[in-house]
Amino acid sequence: MSPDDGWTVVARLGDFDARGRQLVTVGAVEIALFRIGERVYAVNNRCPHRDGPLIRGFVEDGPAIRCPMHGWRYDLATGASERPARATVYPIRVDGDDVAIRVDPGEEVR
Amino acid sequence: MDLKRVDDLVADEYRFFTGERAGWSIAAGPKDLELVAHALRVVLHTRTLGDFRDEYRALVACQHADGGWAPKSDDPESTVWVSAFCALMLIRGDRVLQEPSLATSVRHAIDYFLDTQKADGRWVDPRWADLDTTSHPVSFFDVVLALDERHRRADVERAWRCGLGFIVENQDPEGGWHDDDFHPSGVEITAHLIQDALVAELLLGEKVTRVRDTCRKGLARLREWQASDGSWDEENVDHTMDCVRSSMVVTRILGDDPATDAAIERGFAWIVRHKNEHGWGDFPGMETNLERTCDGIDALCKYRAYRDPDPKAVIRLWGYVP
Repeated sequence: MSPDDGWTVVARLGDFDARGRQLVTVGAVEIALFRIGERVYAVNNRCPHRDGPLIRGFVEDGPAIRCPMHGWRYDLATGASERPARATVYPIRVDGDDVAIRVDPGEEVR
Repeated sequence: MDLKRVDDLVADEYRFFTGERAGWSIAAGPKDLELVAHALRVVLHTRTLGDFRDEYRALVACQHADGGWAPKSDDPESTVWVSAFCALMLIRGDRVLQEPSLATSVRHAIDYFLDTQKADGRWVDPRWADLDTTSHPVSFFDVVLALDERHRRADVERAWRCGLGFIVENQDPEGGWHDDDFHPSGVEITAHLIQDALVAELLLGEKVTRVRDTCRKGLARLREWQASDGSWDEENVDHTMDCVRSSMVVTRILGDDPATDAAIERGFAWIVRHKNEHGWGDFPGMETNLERTCDGIDALCKYRAYRDPDPKAVIRLWGYVP
């Protein structure tokens, strides 16, 4: 995987904290990584509501992440929400210990 | 905390705030109205709103035909929560600025809230929990009544009682309010409800049953939720500011309460300790954002008033007394 094919290695599985979280930056985009069971999820760290930091949020069944500021909840696989917004999620590949994501180069920097 | 230090912090942060005017001034172009309302509360509480008449006029100019406002000033659809915050800033600002267009706008906003209330007393906004949403028009009506605005007075009193009733009926036996779809912890909702909606009723004649007891239980629940370091909700700066401000006005209205005074001091010290060089972020160590900085300046102003020997000094900063 190289930047040329759109995938960027951003983390190692061994680097996640005890709660299975890691905050990384790709370009100017903050991305929150959540390791839940055998899977890793990647979501733009800034809640579309008021920019709350999703890395500090509450993981719930789904799996989903609930923003710590005002409680908006997002599906970690799709970004879908019952609120009038959608979180940006990113495709993930895990290769050995490497965690890679693909970020659309045109994504708005938040 | 030493009051000279508080005064110095207000002065420093206010300088930073005005230096960032382009970021929050609606007179400079379309803006996020939640941020604008936060900023207008700063100029109100620092008694500088005379320098910002254009901002108030611009807020009036983006009011919709239905009397409400949208979260983004150039969006077409009114929503309740931000409309109430804007209306509250206008009615309080108008008492100082005395501009006919502001008074007209306030009356128009009253119409909006009377038109949008549901039959059970709640207001609804997809961006906020129903309880949180309801607290804001009720808070606006608290101030409408406290300042003796007469527009559709009987309708306002009826809607206000009904909104208060919805909130009182939904308190948990433990004293807090929760909404599983938004805030399972309940901290922010509880802080909002007792300060913004309920406690003013005690100054307006205690016409609604159980409000005093409801406020006392809510305040006690906030104390129980406070962490030993003084913060609330896992070091959430926003929610800690909410809880400290809420505790200050509620305890001043309910009467002397040493346990709450101690909680306020711990919480306020935590807020000051976690200030960035300029402003505040959403959590310790995060970059400054303008909305949290407005909340921080507001908390400083309210703490300053809370320490005033006159108990009405801090209550006045909610607009519940003239």
